[in-house]
Amino acid sequence: MEVKFHDIGEGMNEGEILTFFVKVGDEVTVDQPLVEMQTDKMVAEIPSPTAGTVKAIHFNTGEVVTVGTPIMEIDNGEENSPPEKAEEPKKQEKQSAPQPVEEKTSTKKKHNRVLAAPYTRKIARDKGVDIEEIQGTGPAGRVTEEDVYQFVNGSAGKAGVQEAAAASVPAANQKEQASDTIPFKGIRKQIAKNMSYSLQTIPHVTHFEEADLTNLLELRKELKESGDNISVVAFFLKALAISLKEHPIFNARLDEENEVIHLLKQYNFGLATDTEAGLLVPVLPNVDQKSLREIHTEMKDLTKKAQEGKLSAQEMANGTFTISNVGPLGGMGATPIINHPQTSILAFHKTKKVPVVMDDDEIAIRSMMNMSLSFDHRVADGAASVRFTNRFVELLEEPKKLLLELV
Amino acid sequence: MVVGEIAESRDLVIIGGGPGGYNAAIRAAQLGLDVTIIEKGKMGGVCLNEGCIPSKVFAHAAKEYASVPNLSILGINIGEPTFDFHALMKYKDRTVTQLRKGVEALCAANKIEIIEGQATFTAENKIGVENGHQFDVYEFNHAIIATGSATIKPDFLPKQSDRVLFSDVIYNLDEMPQDLIVYGSNYISLEVAFSYHNLGANVTMILDETDDFSFDTSINRELKRILKKQKIKVHRGFKVEEVHASEDDVEVQLAKDGKEETLKGTHIYVATQHKADIAELGLERFGLKMTEDGLVETDAQMRTSLDKLFAVGDITEGTPSAVKAIKEGKVAAETIAGLNSEVDLTFLPSIVHSIPKIASVGLTEEEAAEAGYKVKTSQFANSGNSYAMITNEKSGITKIIKDEETDLLLGFHAIGAGAVELISTAVTALEMVGRDEDLNFPLYPHPSFNETILEAVEGLEEKAIHMPPPKKTAKV
Repeated sequence: MEVKFHDIGEGMNEGEILTFFVKVGDEVTVDQPLVEMQTDKMVAEIPSPTAGTVKAIHFNTGEVVTVGTPIMEIDNGEENSPPEKAEEPKKQEKQSAPQPVEEKTSTKKKHNRVLAAPYTRKIARDKGVDIEEIQGTGPAGRVTEEDVYQFVNGSAGKAGVQEAAAASVPAANQKEQASDTIPFKGIRKQIAKNMSYSLQTIPHVTHFEEADLTNLLELRKELKESGDNISVVAFFLKALAISLKEHPIFNARLDEENEVIHLLKQYNFGLATDTEAGLLVPVLPNVDQKSLREIHTEMKDLTKKAQEGKLSAQEMANGTFTISNVGPLGGMGATPIINHPQTSILAFHKTKKVPVVMDDDEIAIRSMMNMSLSFDHRVADGAASVRFTNRFVELLEEPKKLLLELV
Repeated sequence: MVVGEIAESRDLVIIGGGPGGYNAAIRAAQLGLDVTIIEKGKMGGVCLNEGCIPSKVFAHAAKEYASVPNLSILGINIGEPTFDFHALMKYKDRTVTQLRKGVEALCAANKIEIIEGQATFTAENKIGVENGHQFDVYEFNHAIIATGSATIKPDFLPKQSDRVLFSDVIYNLDEMPQDLIVYGSNYISLEVAFSYHNLGANVTMILDETDDFSFDTSINRELKRILKKQKIKVHRGFKVEEVHASEDDVEVQLAKDGKEETLKGTHIYVATQHKADIAELGLERFGLKMTEDGLVETDAQMRTSLDKLFAVGDITEGTPSAVKAIKEGKVAAETIAGLNSEVDLTFLPSIVHSIPKIASVGLTEEEAAEAGYKVKTSQFANSGNSYAMITNEKSGITKIIKDEETDLLLGFHAIGAGAVELISTAVTALEMVGRDEDLNFPLYPHPSFNETILEAVEGLEEKAIHMPPPKKTAKV
């Protein structure tokens, strides 16, 4: 029986093999984890679909596998049933196909052609980099000038060492110039890919706003004293769901291909979470249908799972809007990058006690919080974003108004 | 030899004044270095004095002579043409001398010192030059070895004979060979065969133990067709057993699959192998790294394993070629002057001044397939080119090879009237990582041989205008 890499989450079509928990010849039971895969922002274990013996493993760790590809074979003692047989020739095709491909790459190297125009090659020489190490992104794999510059910037540490060597600086100095390295793969690489893609496709605008949280904090304190500990963020989420229903363009998805903007009816909020592995975004679904207490509990649960690396793919899928609560860490403003294909992201900053001139021209000490809303300017315009945050701020400043929205 | 040396010092000493050496010298002088060339023979090296230049003089004369009968159809009647071998020899000598004087004048204009004599390294940074009783020592910051290659004469040949000819004398004969046997398949052999044949000799070729020429199969096919049409007999796959040379003629014993054959002629030309001309330099004492074939190892900047020494041209690895030597010489000079240069011979064009000419660059169809590309080719027959019709030069083909997956151009092979001049378009396209559309989009002068490239490229998409539509195989 073949163990295939199935689509384990929205839009995921490939994954990198991190670890195999079994080797050829191992006995496995149903649901026993076989392999750990790194996909878009998550690590997933693939469980065994059957009990039996591991017959073959088709990939090595570090290789990238596309959805639908058999990763390994498990002999479960059953005779191959007809559908299994039908797959047999297909599998053989797949097994024999890679060999000529391998030959192809090895002999292609023999030809040793540099896929770069002479002008580009000169730039690489002048920058002190080996053009053959650069992966071309141009047509037919051509190395472009851009590729060279990116490679140079990417390997600045290396180039520094080379230049030092060229100037025949003593070896000791060279060592000092060397840098520590952080592996650029797994979640870090995924983050990089998603962020670049978002910023390259979406024209971002960030709108800043402030809110007086004094009343909300007071309310929270009262509730706490009466035994209900609800975090401030839970109130934010509730107020957001209400504001978004009234300003749906910020809970939307642009479908450029079909030339429509979908105003989404679900209010699934991504919670940007700082973890040791990097930024993860668990999604709290259907916030509009949940009580403050439910929101609080589920949010806590998701954040914990994120930090422990136990999120399932499902728990990170289908977000419609993302919040990033960096306030506890500090900061007064940011320009957050939208979680593509969503339309907006809202960051909350540190709440500070500041002197504020009140309506009666008296100065009072109030707890003020800044927020930064980045939105897709293809979909929404500046005035709409101000109207949206006005409503949101209103609900935060007068939390009693939340009562009016009770269904 | 004088003992108690006083060494003069030089920025750059270049040993050898052939194409590699003098190009390096002039480039280095342009970059502000004091340059000295040491040459034991004549400036210009093998290429100018006995190689490329003389052979092109002959090839040109032969082509012109062969075209005379065609003049009458244009209404130009000049009667029966005659050929004066000695006059051509004189013209050749004059051309060579003029070119050599040109090189010497250029060197002088660039304030390059030329010293005559045999060079020997006395230390890693010192070189002695011996000329008669004179022995001068020069201390240098850098030296470029550009001594070229010497021919290795095959050992099966008998004693020295005036009737057994090699590349160093084939264009320096006292008389026109009447029945010339050409033993070899390389470009020099082909030029010898076509030139002497078209100048009036009876020429027979023996391919040296190979079954075919080394070009793309399509070129080989057209070349063999042309050879046959010109009545140059080609013996393929034979081994030369023995060569007898007498006072009046030569006799060659051939064998193939136990079958023997004897060829008779007045002369035999034998293709030679080349080895680095380096023994007299005395470099082995300093541990200069050599390849198994006895050539000097270099990197892409032409540095040798010794710090101050560079090497360029035929003494380094690769096909012996003036094109290669010229490029390598310039790169060595630029590197020494602190510029950032490199040599890459991947797209070294190879040219044969046969009649008609052959030009080729990049992968052949077979090489491309072996390299794992999904090969697509297109071949345009020059007979479909209107300018070829005008000049009555209709034989030949132009072939383009691309990778069907990426449209990347992989190779260009042409035999025909315009081939040598046209090859630069292909070299540029390949260096620029060109794809088929890059050659399809530009405008080509009409009528001209240039259009053979366009039509070959168009043929990749079956949209060449002057190519018959692909034949549908008839059902039986």
